Amino acid sequence: MGTTNINNNVAVSVSDAFRVHLISVLGLASAIWIAHNIYTINLTTHPIQALRLILVFETPILISLYSCLGRNREQCSYLVAVGRGMLGLLAGAVFMVLGAVTLGAPVGIQYMKKTIYWSLLMSSFTFVPTSCVFGSSWMDWQRLFANTKPIGVVDYMICIPAHGAVIGAWLGAWPMPLDWERPWQEWPVCVSYGALAGYLVGVFASWGVLLVFGKRENHFKGD
Amino acid sequence: MAGSSQKWRLISPFFIILTLHCIAIVFFTRGFLLTRTELPNFSQCSDTSQSPCSNPNTNTTDTRCWTKPTVDRLVIIVLDALRFDFVAPSTFFDEKRPWMDKLKVLQKLASDEPSSARIFKAIADPPTTSLQRLKMVRNGKRVMMVGDDTWVQLFPDHFEKSFPFPSFNVKDLDTVDDGCIQHLFPSLYMADWDVLIAHFLGVDHAGHIFGVDSSPMIDKLEQYNVILEKVTEILKNQSGPGGLHENTLLLVMGDHGQTINGDHGGGTAEEVETSIFAMSTKIRSRPFSSELDMSCKFDTDGKEICVSSVQQLDFAVTMAALLGIPFPFGSIGRVNPDLYALSAGSRNQPVSVSTECKEWSNFEEWGSDYANVLCINSWQVKKYIDVYSASSIIGFPSEDLLHVENMYAQAQVNWSNTVQNCFLSENENCNTSFTGLRDQINAYSNFLASVAELARSKWTEFDLPMMYVGLGIMILSLFVHLVVIIRANKFCQISYPYSGYPEISLRLTSAIFLVAIRGCSFLSNSYILTEGKVASFLLGTTGILSLRYSFIRKKMLIEAFGFLLLNSILRLITTIELSKQSLGFMFTSIFPVKMLGIDRSHPVWLFIPEIIPLLLVPYLLYKSIVGNPCWRVLKYFFLAGTVISYMLIMFYLALESNVLAVPPMVEDVERNFVPRIIYAIGFGQVVLLTFVQFFEKAENTLHITENITIKTMLMLSAWSPTIIVLLGGQGSFIALASIVGGWCVIRLGISEEKTWDITVRVPNTDPLPIAQWSLFAICLFFYTGHWCAFDGLRYSAAFIGFDEFNLIRQAILLSIDTFGVSHILPILGLPFLVVFQYLSCQGGKGKEILHVKLSQTLLMSLLSIFSFSGIPDLRTHYFRDDYIHSIPDLRTHYFRDDYIHSNMCHNTKTSFDGMGAICSKIRFRCGWPSTHG
Repeated sequence: MGTTNINNNVAVSVSDAFRVHLISVLGLASAIWIAHNIYTINLTTHPIQALRLILVFETPILISLYSCLGRNREQCSYLVAVGRGMLGLLAGAVFMVLGAVTLGAPVGIQYMKKTIYWSLLMSSFTFVPTSCVFGSSWMDWQRLFANTKPIGVVDYMICIPAHGAVIGAWLGAWPMPLDWERPWQEWPVCVSYGALAGYLVGVFASWGVLLVFGKRENHFKGD
Repeated sequence: MAGSSQKWRLISPFFIILTLHCIAIVFFTRGFLLTRTELPNFSQCSDTSQSPCSNPNTNTTDTRCWTKPTVDRLVIIVLDALRFDFVAPSTFFDEKRPWMDKLKVLQKLASDEPSSARIFKAIADPPTTSLQRLKMVRNGKRVMMVGDDTWVQLFPDHFEKSFPFPSFNVKDLDTVDDGCIQHLFPSLYMADWDVLIAHFLGVDHAGHIFGVDSSPMIDKLEQYNVILEKVTEILKNQSGPGGLHENTLLLVMGDHGQTINGDHGGGTAEEVETSIFAMSTKIRSRPFSSELDMSCKFDTDGKEICVSSVQQLDFAVTMAALLGIPFPFGSIGRVNPDLYALSAGSRNQPVSVSTECKEWSNFEEWGSDYANVLCINSWQVKKYIDVYSASSIIGFPSEDLLHVENMYAQAQVNWSNTVQNCFLSENENCNTSFTGLRDQINAYSNFLASVAELARSKWTEFDLPMMYVGLGIMILSLFVHLVVIIRANKFCQISYPYSGYPEISLRLTSAIFLVAIRGCSFLSNSYILTEGKVASFLLGTTGILSLRYSFIRKKMLIEAFGFLLLNSILRLITTIELSKQSLGFMFTSIFPVKMLGIDRSHPVWLFIPEIIPLLLVPYLLYKSIVGNPCWRVLKYFFLAGTVISYMLIMFYLALESNVLAVPPMVEDVERNFVPRIIYAIGFGQVVLLTFVQFFEKAENTLHITENITIKTMLMLSAWSPTIIVLLGGQGSFIALASIVGGWCVIRLGISEEKTWDITVRVPNTDPLPIAQWSLFAICLFFYTGHWCAFDGLRYSAAFIGFDEFNLIRQAILLSIDTFGVSHILPILGLPFLVVFQYLSCQGGKGKEILHVKLSQTLLMSLLSIFSFSGIPDLRTHYFRDDYIHSIPDLRTHYFRDDYIHSNMCHNTKTSFDGMGAICSKIRFRCGWPSTHG
């Protein structure tokens, strides 16, 4: 239950967190690199293909990495964690679609594919890590996303990039109404850019926080 | 008495703010509304003796006035809202649409007889509302008018004969047109007029109701094709020598275009591009053509057809030149060469000229006529500019005037040379006179063009200092808001010394942040255009924030989800509704069945959902009244009135959706009668409520909450029936949405307060519900199909219950419709935010009301400040061109409403704030004693 989670998270050290973040950032970078240089596409020209490519690279990486971090390793196996990650991906996508529609995403047959791919991307930044690690533990979800009170390394690793992605996507929607008539103002191009940028900022921020956190932890250990 | 002075201290800030807002709005609109001084002068025939222009070729100086008349009679058929692509062949456009090529007869004439008939693209000046600007009706000719009665209202005694038909009933497609047809054809055989104007309204009305891509529109166009065919037939039959129409010019013209969904008023290409078809009955040799603005293409039958372009500004002066009447004094147009050439081509074939000179001579004859006309034209414009600069307060800048004067002087020097060259040395050197004439025409044209340019730029300027003063006062009022809020806080702390310092929470910052974003978004005109979407985005964001807080507090989850769900449902429905505005026919082809009861194919199924929300309001009123100790007798009286009103609404909706089988005669009476009763009941209730408020002596200090609740409830139930009726079919749905939305906002507000400060007994004022409340109100404005533009007004709402037009009455109805659900109801309902929030603590209620009110006004006025500064950007969109032509005719009803609305859309929001402040006074009185005692 919720009271035991600190004990469970001790297993993950700050350096582990660094490694996980580094791999996920590298995965993201390689997906974008391949899109640009091998397929010569980008988000603006081919939003659907580019989003699909990023998804294909990033989601498996995130699921496999965060499933390793899953707590209660003795109670649930790695495969179960992966399965939870898959479920979390789908559930999160539904959640993101609803959120986007509430905030004004265009609804229509021609936008459906774009919206779905975008929501899958958003979900893999936010829901996938959380569901891999915490499964359906309501207490943990509430602690991370409602109260925003992360405790421990894993919490920071999940919480900050996820918030970064959501806030980035929200801010990314702002250029959309401008009458510049640029292709990147289309749904969901700038929102995806915003989400990617926000996620990266979140990753770096969590690195920074974990550095401080790690130092303090070492300090405590020294005591 | 200490109590009353304290009370006054709390109420007086509202009056100060109201006064400040009023002053600010007056200043701002003074600077914003364009000022072109209208001069009372009129041109007279005799004026021309002062002009330097003369025509030595003409001997018949006694019969001519300003110019030599080149047509005897003029038939003008005005087809309201005639798009350019209604007339021009479809080959001129990228793709053929269903409404193109319907006026075949005009295309056929233009391609078969290019020398006497031509299609023009006429470019109107925005705002593209109906024109009514033919000033030549003042001058001597016998004018006959058929059709739109606005003409007769504008020029009551300028018509020799008139057959006006009421034009304001937009639902009526045929009355005006049938009347036109009935009187037009007999008149064509009569000789008792010189100018005949027939104004058909069917296309405009069909566009307003069904849109351009609709079968009524195509039927209308086909009907017009038949009418025009008959008209041209009659004219041609009579065009022989000595016939009635020997020298008649037929003009078929639109006064403005329309968008695909039938709106007009703005400055988009679709709206400003209309068409003029001109046909002269006199056969002429191929006239000289400037060939500047002409484009020729093959039509669908493979024949070549040419289209010229003409500014609508030039129309009146060209007509005056053709008829030989004095040019309108205030016109700055130029006689259009193509239109003038059409009927003023060479009158007789040149007699004896060498072959190489023949063409020159042909041109010369026309050219000298035209140069002379332009000379008079330039002289008239110059005179107008001189008189205008002398008499107007805000004239033109002197350097620009000097430049224009130089151009005129230059052209005038040329003129005397040309006259000598051309007419003294006739037939000697074709080339000299040719180039001389051409230079002359160019010189005059340049002069006229630069005058028009100057006027366009100057008359569309805003009076920036005035606007800045208004803006400054608005900012000042913001400081007053802040001061008053701080004072109220202090007052709070004096009464309840235990209260802690208000904590700056995340909720406070997020509310301020969202409002600031919304304010900043007004600085860009892109965001002004998408204001509805931005507001809905922000509302959605507040909804998500509330949901997050509900998760934290583990309370009110249903309300938070409900609010988000409501927001998305409303948004989706609006997208479908507004697709008429933006996506247009693409969407309607996918979803042919419209939402919200517009489609009446299954009346009963659509009728039942409409009824259910209507039962809710009286039920809520009943619930709040029963067990309420205040107002024992009177409240049942109000309840009865409200129940009757709502039953009448149901009856009215049933009539509208044809569920009830009522005889048509009774139905027509009922349709007007029922809404009037509803208005009357609502008005009576509001008056009674105010009356009771003033004479309520013993204030019941025990039941303050109940007292405020019942008063707010009664106020809302007095206003709501009127607003629901005006909203039409969507009214009941919107009423339901407002109740649910308002309830959610109130409940979500409570969830915070109870956990905060219940022990301290002085609750913090939580700004998030207030921001949410006002954002929801703004969204409702857009959800109900309004938007801040000329065509954002729902004209049909002004005629619910009335058939005939009365400016004040219809304007009141229109403003109730426009601001009802977005401003009147939310502001009147504000006390609920306070009452429900502080049900538990009886303490600082009066103060809290004041507090909430002030925060609300603060938020709203913050928004309006930003919208003020954003409005200058609006001009790039709505007012890109000019008002040169339309300002003198501000009297048009269409125009007045449009104009005022578009400028005042944001401003009025501010004034409604002020009204809200006044209304709050009434609420405040009942809440007051508790804070004091």
